[in-house]
Amino acid sequence: MTAQSDGSKPPRSADRFLSWFCKGKLLEEVKGDLHESYRIEKGEKGRRRADIIYWYEVLQFLRPFALKRKSQNPNKTVMYRSYLKFAWRNVLKHKGASIMNILSLGVGIACFVFIFIYLKGELSYDKFHNDADRIHRVVIDFVDSNQRRLPDATTPPALAPALKRDFPEVASTVRLFPNWGSKFLIGAPDDKKFYEEGLIQTDSTFFNVFSFPMIYGDTENALDYPDQMVITKKAARKYFGRENVIDETLTIYGDENKTYRISGVLEDVPVYSHFKFDFLIKIAFQNLEQNWGWYNYYTYMKLSPEADIAGLGPKLQPFFEGYQDKSQYYNIIYSQPLTDIHLKSNLKWELEANGDINNVYIFAVLAIFVLIISCINYLNLTAAGSFRRFREVGIRKVYGAHKTSLIGQFMVETLLIVSISLVAGNMLSEVLFKNLGGVLKHDISILDPENLGIFLGICMVVLVIGIVAGLFPAIYFSSFKVALAVKGVFNHSGRSILGLRKGLLVIQFAISASMIFGTIAVYKQLQHMKNADKGFAPEQVLVIENMSGVQNQETLKAELLRVADISTAGLSNGIIGGLNWTTGLGYPDAFTMNFLEIDPGFIETMGFEFIAGRNFSSDRPTDAQGITIVVNETGLRELGMTYEDLGKNLPMGNQNDSTVRDGKVIGVVKDFHFTDFKKEIRPFAFFYRDRAMDYLSLKVSTSNLSQTLGAIEDVWSDVTDGMPLEYYFLDQSFADLHAREKRLSGILLYLTLLALFIAFMGMFAIANMTVKDRIKEIAIRKVLGATVSGISNMITRKFLLLVLLANIIACPVAYFIMQKWLEGFAYRTSLGLTLFLLAIGPTLLVTWTTVGFHALKAALGNPIKYLRQG
Amino acid sequence: MKGTQLGEFEELILLIVGVLYPEAYGLAIRQEITGQIGRKVAIGAVHSALNRLEDKGFLKSELANATHERGGRRKRLFHITAAGKQALQRNYELRSSLWNQIPDLAWKHLNYDCSI
Repeated sequence: MTAQSDGSKPPRSADRFLSWFCKGKLLEEVKGDLHESYRIEKGEKGRRRADIIYWYEVLQFLRPFALKRKSQNPNKTVMYRSYLKFAWRNVLKHKGASIMNILSLGVGIACFVFIFIYLKGELSYDKFHNDADRIHRVVIDFVDSNQRRLPDATTPPALAPALKRDFPEVASTVRLFPNWGSKFLIGAPDDKKFYEEGLIQTDSTFFNVFSFPMIYGDTENALDYPDQMVITKKAARKYFGRENVIDETLTIYGDENKTYRISGVLEDVPVYSHFKFDFLIKIAFQNLEQNWGWYNYYTYMKLSPEADIAGLGPKLQPFFEGYQDKSQYYNIIYSQPLTDIHLKSNLKWELEANGDINNVYIFAVLAIFVLIISCINYLNLTAAGSFRRFREVGIRKVYGAHKTSLIGQFMVETLLIVSISLVAGNMLSEVLFKNLGGVLKHDISILDPENLGIFLGICMVVLVIGIVAGLFPAIYFSSFKVALAVKGVFNHSGRSILGLRKGLLVIQFAISASMIFGTIAVYKQLQHMKNADKGFAPEQVLVIENMSGVQNQETLKAELLRVADISTAGLSNGIIGGLNWTTGLGYPDAFTMNFLEIDPGFIETMGFEFIAGRNFSSDRPTDAQGITIVVNETGLRELGMTYEDLGKNLPMGNQNDSTVRDGKVIGVVKDFHFTDFKKEIRPFAFFYRDRAMDYLSLKVSTSNLSQTLGAIEDVWSDVTDGMPLEYYFLDQSFADLHAREKRLSGILLYLTLLALFIAFMGMFAIANMTVKDRIKEIAIRKVLGATVSGISNMITRKFLLLVLLANIIACPVAYFIMQKWLEGFAYRTSLGLTLFLLAIGPTLLVTWTTVGFHALKAALGNPIKYLRQG
Repeated sequence: MKGTQLGEFEELILLIVGVLYPEAYGLAIRQEITGQIGRKVAIGAVHSALNRLEDKGFLKSELANATHERGGRRKRLFHITAAGKQALQRNYELRSSLWNQIPDLAWKHLNYDCSI
């Protein structure tokens, strides 16, 4: 019968713990008291409670009076000092090995620290809001006639008020209306003007839901009136040079200039917020409360403390359908927790490019991998170095060293190395990852005070790992047989440690190889996406993005076309590669189609290829009425048309008044990628509208770019009366579509290089030791006539075989993982044989060079010198 | 005279050891403190205080017979020494002397305050 099943006895682990630390003299009475008390508690409160109380009481005995006095030897400090002295001497004596130890462990720690901080950031998104767990975003999946769901982050403006009205669980709601890609010209009274993107229109309830700390002003009524504006500290500095700017005014220039009074200044929006802004104003549109048709608002709700989202969730869909016209299918409405948005939500029209929970997992695994590699390395180096200490340990034993004191000696050495590595690692993480700040969009520093907790945590983890890694050699050494040790006979026991070293080496290189494999695969996919035929030519296309303020767009376009290096120009109300609006098209069942409003020049500028039909023409007035369309191939297919239907009037869409409207497809362009390569090519439509647009795209020749840019600016300022010009190149913004993969690839490459570096150091040290161990053998072989290449081959071959084995283990695993990753892309690269070779290559090369270097050095040396040694 | 000073908690324990005579041991003292004063203390705290008091010479102890509830372990029974009694007496006298010196007026003032 065990103590656990005997109901009358308290938890045995607690008892054992007590016996471990409590003075023997006190133990009997203390245990007696505790057991008696336990019986009473159990009778009153039951077993579980009593167990907890028992533990608590046991821990309460951790007081000086009750603790065992370990030793009565007052010379303990002297002994530790001598341990430390020996440890330090040993570090200095084997400088090379020590530096390798410290560097490889330090780099591992640095990677771990860096990834840990990065992940903490990713996981802490939006947690700074008070009661963040009660805040939810309501989003919608558009459903089309084929029952396909198109997840979308935007919702109608009437949703938020209706939620608040219909559900008592909802404490408050707020809508956000961001800039939707346009730039606002904002100016201070003293004529400081800037184009701003960070303007959000919202409700007066903004601060009831979100808690962005306000430095000046009052959150209660900061957004009560339509002429109030809340800005961030950063914006206040930019426009006024100071922070307290309450009651100052800012003007937003547009069709009509509107002046706002600043009613509050906020702290800058935290990095870890899924939407960022610098200006908040009240929503300016009227009659939104009944508007269930516009999908361009973000809806957030905060539940009351006692409400439960699980209870509210199922009620949303019937509530939503109640406000819609009768229909065969409804869009699907649901909510997502605020704190999940950054990592788990990847809808259309997210307020900011979100992170990815999968990347978090990948990075966490990588961090652990790198740490494992460097710990293995450490273990390997220490174990390999053990032979040198064999005699020392023997002599110590002869002079009466206890097992415990030997372990103590080695532990002190381990701790010394680990502590130095810890310091070095943290400093390295500052240096090594400085340039990754750009990839990650924000800086990462261990010196940040809020990372103190992490820092201490990592110190603990690493110390524990260091101790575990050091414990093995410590125990191993201390259990030598004295006589054997002094004689220097270690063949028998040495074999097992050699086997272990080999095993560790294989693990290390297997991890490195799979990381290389992964890096190359991600890189290849990235290149695949970059170089893939997009179906049009975003290269050399310059986009002017602040066209909305330009009155005479046609004049501007005509003037610009006179510049020699501009071949074509086209106006549009959006860009390819950005997010495009959608419309319902098709009859009798409408499906959702992305569209752009353009002018005839746009298609040529973008390099779309016509497969059939014709382009829009400004000479045909009917083209500009919005019923003629140019679609891509997929669009034509989805509409259920063939090339014969081009130019015919066909029923194409339901109007709001449920009449059927005819449309005419006049041209078909080749399919093109307008989103990232994760998705299949989707239908796309172009409409021609003869009206003011938001963007002007120019195809420029890059031969003398600066001259062309100068000419563009001249024409621009002539036509627009000195408005500032804002432009970028389209391929640049296209590259942003792959930002996530780029970030992954960047970090992966970095970590892989570091992991390879660590493995390289380990290999270097072990090769060095192996050669030293066999130096006499090499010398004798040489004397007997072995060639230099023969000797170095003999040594390198074994290592190469080990690394090959590591690769054979790693490659299938890595292949499987990367194949899974690639399944997330509709257009993916293939992982071929070359990839395997590319992954195996570096590891073999590293092995060959490092081991070969040592082997060659030994083989080229004078054999007499080696034979005379010791 | 540092070592022979009586702390507040120590005084309490000492008094209770007297109250419980001859059956004063760790757990019983803890129960008495909880029962009479309503103060929750850990057994460890009681043992610690008892240990200190013994060091100071206010208490003496011996091991009694084993009982079944304690899994066959003996309890340590405490009793007050002469020095302990003296210390308690001194504290008691000091307090009552101070108490007697408080003028009645002080209480009147209190009464007046309360009647408002």
